[in-house]
Amino acid sequence: MILTPEVLAILILDVIFAFFGVIAFILSIKIFFGWNLESVSQGQYKLEKQSFLTATIIKYIFVIKVPLFLFFIFTLDKISHVLTGAMCAAGVVDATPYGTYLFILKIINLYLFAYWLVLHNEDIKHENQPYTKLKFGIFIIAFFFFIAELVVEWVMFASINVDKMVSCCGTLYSSSADSAISSIFSIDTPILLSLFYGNFFFIVVFYFLKRKYLFAISNLLFIVISIISLIVFFGTYIYELPTHHCPFCFLQSDYYYVGYLIYTLLFIGTFYGIVTGFVKESEKNITKNYKISMMFNFFYVILLSLYPIVFYIKNGVWL
Amino acid sequence: MIELKNITKIYEINKSDKVIALDDINLRIKEGELVVLKGASGSGKSTILSLIAALSKPTSGEVIVDTKKISKLPDNFASVYRRDNIGFIFQKYNLIPTLSVKENIILPLVPLNPDASDIQNKLDIVTNRFNISHKENAIVRNLSGGEQQRVAIARANINDPKIIIADEPTANLDEKLSLHFIEILRELKVLNKTIVVATHDPLFFGLDFVDREIEVHNGKIVV
Repeated sequence: MILTPEVLAILILDVIFAFFGVIAFILSIKIFFGWNLESVSQGQYKLEKQSFLTATIIKYIFVIKVPLFLFFIFTLDKISHVLTGAMCAAGVVDATPYGTYLFILKIINLYLFAYWLVLHNEDIKHENQPYTKLKFGIFIIAFFFFIAELVVEWVMFASINVDKMVSCCGTLYSSSADSAISSIFSIDTPILLSLFYGNFFFIVVFYFLKRKYLFAISNLLFIVISIISLIVFFGTYIYELPTHHCPFCFLQSDYYYVGYLIYTLLFIGTFYGIVTGFVKESEKNITKNYKISMMFNFFYVILLSLYPIVFYIKNGVWL
Repeated sequence: MIELKNITKIYEINKSDKVIALDDINLRIKEGELVVLKGASGSGKSTILSLIAALSKPTSGEVIVDTKKISKLPDNFASVYRRDNIGFIFQKYNLIPTLSVKENIILPLVPLNPDASDIQNKLDIVTNRFNISHKENAIVRNLSGGEQQRVAIARANINDPKIIIADEPTANLDEKLSLHFIEILRELKVLNKTIVVATHDPLFFGLDFVDREIEVHNGKIVV
């Protein structure tokens, strides 16, 4: 087990989250099955008070989880220095069989909690609280992912063996056959770029046509295509190395922490895009979500596109 | 109209210690009516007021004001309801002692963010009506009890609410000031406000402009 101060902070927060998460889960079940706003019974009034408490707990878990996600990446980067072979967070993620699952769970939970928060904000705008039952129903499902994340996080940090040599990101994110994600490198660059810009083109088209479901689906797809494009193509221009594909190294100071900006733009852009299709909101809010999504996705695409263009202008060749 | 339907309110101090403040009461107060709730301390009068003002929720039953089920309002909507409809005069005035008279009176306007001229107009109306305009810039803690109460009344009226609620308004006043307060109530009644006063002060009993006196005893309305 590795216990740096950062890891210890994360593990203690996990215990606190689990404690409050369990309380919110139990109350959510009671609210989900007992909620009847028309009722003037003692039980319903009690549920109305409990729904306020539960929503507050969930809201604050999320509010802490967002910066904690960035802190988690920062921690992985930091402990990569004590693992032989690791050059960045990628090595730490790969140091145990649980790292990849943990990352996937964290991303799922980030989107789930953010979705819950949007639903909650919409719910409290109405006197009749139309989404109360739905939002606590979603939390009941989200809770299992949430607890899974906490358990896997503990298991992952407990399984890290500092004496064991791990692979560096150069090996993990390469086109060699034994690489974990070698399959994505078999996609031809022109096809990948067509998918990337094509997907963004559809986002723009659906934005102007105001087709919210298609806009949401395009954004959902954009998460996957963007991350693959980043690893396979754009990353090489950030590093200015044709063989370096790591999605973590650009989070380091050598690259001016640009990774945090890239992932924040992608998360906010795609999240608000997805929300337009999955939350019934007022026209004003839908328009606001469209605009936020479009703006962040636009800056994301511009930022990534600038790297190869600037490289070409400087060097006169493509990688 | 204010309607309390099958209201029960239980204060749960702990699992075994419960106080039944209101026990399945029903009450209707018509628009423009002045009602005096009388009864001993702990009879449930103040609880009725806090329910009408949406300061608390019943344990069961419902409170309806002008067709709006205010006991079912989430907290953020209850605050808006209070701001727009209720003027509450508290027993101990609940003023901010370090602020001036003017600052205390205009406090309920702050969330509405009105322009300065609108604030001044409203302030002038209530300070003149309740005879406190000459003390507008005085610090509240330096005022006498009667003056403090007039500030509290002015504050309760700055938003021109439909309903005025007064909880033991003369408990801290001598007889002369209490009679003055009763005169103010008479003026408010002329303005067609719905007024609910909870008191055990005998000065309020048998007044000609009071529409009804309702006795509350051990959480029940005495018929």
